[in-house]
Amino acid sequence: MSDEEHHFESKADAGASKTFPQQAGTIRKNGYIVIKGRPCKVVEVSTSKTGKHGHAKCHFVGIDVFTAKKLEDIVPSSHNCDVPHVTRTDYQLIDISEDGFVSLLTENGNTKDDLRLPTDETLLAQIKDGFAEGKDLVVTVMSAMGEEQICALKDIGPK
Amino acid sequence: MEGFPGGATDLSQLQSTMEAVEHACSSIQMHVNPGEAEKIILSLRLSPLPYQSCRFILETSQIPNARFQAAGAIGDAAIREWGILTDENKRSLISFCLCYVMEHSGAADAYVQAKVSAVAALLIKRGWLDFAETEKMAIFSEVKQAILGIHGMNAQYTGINFLESLVSEFSPSTSTAMGLPREFHEQCLLSLELNYLKEFYCWAQASALSVTDKIIGCGATVSEDKVCSAALRLMFQILNWNFRQSTNTLGHSINKISASSYGIRHDAVLLKKYERSLVQPGPIWNDVLLSSGHTVWLLNLYATLRQKYSSDVIWIDSPLAVSARQLIVQLCSLTGTIFPADNGEMQIKHLIQILSAVLQWIEPPNVISVAIQSGRNESEMIDGCHALLSLATLTSTVLFDNLLRSIRPFGTIHLLSTLTCEVVKAHTVIRDEEETWASEALDILLEIWSVILGRTDTDKDSVSTEGISAASNLFNVIVESHLKAAAESAFDDDGDADYFHASISKRDERLGSYALIARVAADVTVPFLIKLFSERFALINQRNNTSDPTQTLEELYWLLLITGHVLTDSGEGETMLVPEALQVGFSDILEEAQHPVVVLSWSIIHFARHSLDPEMRRTYFSPRLMEAIIWFLARWVDTYLMPLDATKGQISTPGHEHGHPHGYKLSKKVLLSFAGEHNQGVLVLDTIVRISMMTLNSYPGENELLAVTCQKLFVALVRRRNICVHLVGLDSWLDLARAFANERTLFAITARLQRSLAQTLVCAASGLKDSEASNQYVRDLMGPMTAYLVNISNRNDLKAVAQQADVIYMVCCLLERLRGAAKATQTRTQKAIFEMGSAVMAPLLTLLEIYKNQSAVVYLILKFMVDFVDGQIIFLNAQETSILVSFCLRLLEIYSSQNIGKISLSLSSSLRSEAQAEKYKDLRALLQLLTNICSKDLVDFSSSSDELDSPDIAEVIYVGLHIVTPLISLDLLKYPKLSRDYFALVSHMLEVYPEKVARLNKEAFAHIIGTLDFGIHHQDTDVVEKCLRAVNALASYHYNERNAGKEGLGAQNTDSHGSNGKLQDSILSHFLKLLLQLLLFEDFRMDLAGSAADALLPLLLCEHDLYQRLVQELLEREANPAMKTRLASAFHSLTSSNQLSSSLDRPNRHRFRKNLHGFLTEVSGFMRIK
Repeated sequence: MSDEEHHFESKADAGASKTFPQQAGTIRKNGYIVIKGRPCKVVEVSTSKTGKHGHAKCHFVGIDVFTAKKLEDIVPSSHNCDVPHVTRTDYQLIDISEDGFVSLLTENGNTKDDLRLPTDETLLAQIKDGFAEGKDLVVTVMSAMGEEQICALKDIGPK
Repeated sequence: MEGFPGGATDLSQLQSTMEAVEHACSSIQMHVNPGEAEKIILSLRLSPLPYQSCRFILETSQIPNARFQAAGAIGDAAIREWGILTDENKRSLISFCLCYVMEHSGAADAYVQAKVSAVAALLIKRGWLDFAETEKMAIFSEVKQAILGIHGMNAQYTGINFLESLVSEFSPSTSTAMGLPREFHEQCLLSLELNYLKEFYCWAQASALSVTDKIIGCGATVSEDKVCSAALRLMFQILNWNFRQSTNTLGHSINKISASSYGIRHDAVLLKKYERSLVQPGPIWNDVLLSSGHTVWLLNLYATLRQKYSSDVIWIDSPLAVSARQLIVQLCSLTGTIFPADNGEMQIKHLIQILSAVLQWIEPPNVISVAIQSGRNESEMIDGCHALLSLATLTSTVLFDNLLRSIRPFGTIHLLSTLTCEVVKAHTVIRDEEETWASEALDILLEIWSVILGRTDTDKDSVSTEGISAASNLFNVIVESHLKAAAESAFDDDGDADYFHASISKRDERLGSYALIARVAADVTVPFLIKLFSERFALINQRNNTSDPTQTLEELYWLLLITGHVLTDSGEGETMLVPEALQVGFSDILEEAQHPVVVLSWSIIHFARHSLDPEMRRTYFSPRLMEAIIWFLARWVDTYLMPLDATKGQISTPGHEHGHPHGYKLSKKVLLSFAGEHNQGVLVLDTIVRISMMTLNSYPGENELLAVTCQKLFVALVRRRNICVHLVGLDSWLDLARAFANERTLFAITARLQRSLAQTLVCAASGLKDSEASNQYVRDLMGPMTAYLVNISNRNDLKAVAQQADVIYMVCCLLERLRGAAKATQTRTQKAIFEMGSAVMAPLLTLLEIYKNQSAVVYLILKFMVDFVDGQIIFLNAQETSILVSFCLRLLEIYSSQNIGKISLSLSSSLRSEAQAEKYKDLRALLQLLTNICSKDLVDFSSSSDELDSPDIAEVIYVGLHIVTPLISLDLLKYPKLSRDYFALVSHMLEVYPEKVARLNKEAFAHIIGTLDFGIHHQDTDVVEKCLRAVNALASYHYNERNAGKEGLGAQNTDSHGSNGKLQDSILSHFLKLLLQLLLFEDFRMDLAGSAADALLPLLLCEHDLYQRLVQELLEREANPAMKTRLASAFHSLTSSNQLSSSLDRPNRHRFRKNLHGFLTEVSGFMRIK
């Protein structure tokens, strides 16, 4: 690899922090942003100026990816915002325990037992019913800034 | 009343019906059980022969709503039962309604009387062609008596109102549907226009005359006012009639040719912008409207009343005043053959008459403006502006100017200028409110200026010296007022950015009109702009950082905008030329250094160069000012930088040139060459590139500014090849390319803008000397991007790294850049871009897997492929095609495995709808991808066409259809963009691969047919056309296959079961029925006739027996023998004229198109129902 290409080689490594700074002006609708310490999905961006000849500001409306609360923030568009690392991981569902925890199979064959069933009624019902019917279910777990939650479900096999 | 339908009914029954209806009406009003009440009223409307009950209610009920409903029920029932009513019944219903309104003319609750009146009008129209002329005469003579005032003023008013309902019932746009063929409506309309309309007008005039004496004198009551304004309103309504007679007889081509010599224009069709039509009633109206002195009478009436009520401020807005002015403005638009062929003398006299009266409404402008600002009603002044607009539309610019000279010592343009000055002043003072009188008036006045100055045949000579100085005065006032407003608003918060966008096109439209005014007097206005700029530049230069420059900045902002409009035109996508007015406007200036346009251009560019100095930039070049500078530069580059005329010889415009002396040519040459290739061009280009690069680096986060730079200025720079040639040789441009390829800094721009940046950088390759150099240039530019993507997709720890926000951002940016490059594919760079695409194919599949949960990345990958396939596919040989196609297949497979059968959940509805919107976008991208791949078999430029056709394409389409069809729902097809893409794909596919489609599994096939069924009824003509094409392809395929002894659609065609398990029609017979239904009974658009014919022909051939049966059924259904014969012969000639044969070749299709066209013109009159 030549020297020149080195300039924008990513410095990313596996143990990076939970958030990453990104210029406010480049954050778009449908991206992610940290507002008041919470990871949010951006649902609205508008810009305004401080006086006609001032600098641009971005006005973000975000929805907390875990609690669905609406949060807002205003940032000068040349400043950096924190962008959360939001990941989704698929696990096969092995068991649902009576106290509301699920047992999931990780990729390397271990189990993961520290996750509760979701609170959303529809998803909860779908998981419980599907599991009771004996379907092979894969759940998607979203994690960001140290929190985790089941957010989607997929039926991968026949009954 | 004799002959009243319904026979005798006993009183108690009538009484109880009335009570029921009354009860229902009052409960509706009080919202008590409205459903029940509506049922009762509906049952009255639907009951057989309800006339006695209705009459009883009308005559006895005390509740106006009940009377209203009863009147409506009479109308409904009579239209429904028209066939079973005797002639006597009909007559008596009409006379009952008329008598009723006459008797109750003074009563309260006028809406009941209006409804009864409308019902009478409806019934008269229904029987219009059946009634003998004497019967109509009898009815109308009664009405005439009333209108002329024999029965008193109330009856007079009622009579006028009745005629109003009648006229509106006979006009096509306001008529009631009565289930009759269009021909019927058309015949009624022509008959009324020919026999009655003029008479009605005369009656209205007479009735107005009968009361005006009293109104002008004293002692007029409210009712006289009412009668008079109603009469004027009726006259206005009649003049709004869309006259047919005159347009039919308008064969006066001689008249048209000689028109320009005396200044009346016949080319104007409409006063489009304000939705008013020209009035062209034809010669028979001459006596009523013109020779009888009608116009003078009306003008005098208004003037007298105006005088009389001069102290009454609200009179101007009274119904009488409003309707009188409306009529006057309408008379102003009078034109056509109503005027004799006397070289326009009479029309000019007519226009001057009106102008002299209208003058009082707008003159003197300053007094009027002040009066309105202190509370006077503005409607009169606005109407005056409308009248001027009509005058301007109907006359040449010279005549328009001269109209006023017989009355005033100056021309009309001078008056227009002073009026506009006052309005501009008022407009810029009140800038808080949105819709003010000043902005309404300004819009009309600017429209007038655009009409008189924007004509293609207007040149400098058509505006008088006085007119030119008026225009330059006006421009002065415009600029001064706007600068003042700019300075005052400089500190306002520019809060809502969205509002700003909405008003931008409005603002540009106004600035464009201002520019037209400025260009008329360019030799004065351009130097004026130079002076204003230099004053402000000087101010900035001597400032010592202590005082706040904001006001000056805002003034400069506005000046840059107006100067951009004055110096350049804004034709999107057209080749810009130096505005004609500027080319001819400076014939006495031969020195480049003295030419005002040159001086102005250089002074602005020189000023812009200061932004390169960091200190200056920080203090003075605010993002907003910079936006205006970049915007100005983009337009300037398009027009003046190395213009094509200068390099390729002049595009001469004959006719303009002879009259001009030598100086004209020289001055024009100066304008075309001062920034040419052999002059300052390259130097300026370099400066502009450096300024734009500085903008990208020094204004982080200022997205508006960055967007103008990337999407306007850069695009302008690479638009023309002769500029690109110099561009790619500039160090500054190479710096930019290097920074783009190798440095991090440009990643700070929004990803979408990086796409445009990549696109322009690749586009510039067109300036390189050959294809080899171009490809190398692209490789250098894009190589680092592909290397990064390859590198990251090969990392061992990809899974962990990939999900980090910075990596995702980086990947998105790179994908956008690749998209930009793919969009910029040209023949000479195609090779390098294909290499770029092939290099990332494997990484893209990896990334698609890794980022299956990052919808943004997935979408970008799909979009990149859409653009890549679009740019490449026509160039590829079989081997390359096969690489591309198998990649697409993999892509589709992975996408579908990730997305089918997944249940997504989100905590809130807004997040869920976001997710759905993302899916919708993905789907569109997939459709576009498939469509683009399909196009390979339609357009193929690749050199090796003799090789075996790659079978893979059909396979991808096959798989793609199976993936896409289950995701498309009829609900989704309501989105216009998606449905257009989808139907484009389906029609494409059926045309190119019908055999593949026939092999689809039953579900997918039925789904496609279902969507076609839906699409044929779509509103969008585009979609309907595509569906017709698809049906054509399907039926043609079936027909050809069957003729060749194969099975064609085979099982798919016949074996379609409905949901109830019953065997339904075969698909083709279904479409045959559908299409016939559409053509015969529905509102079918003639512009689709061609595609309909193409679809119908193969259907006829496939399903010949069914077609015969359907025609037979249709003929049997037609009761009227005359219609039956017409229909039968129309059907006969549809299939047998023009030697139609049973083949699907081009000439035969062409013959069938002709036949169908004839068929539709023949039958649409009596088959379509309103």
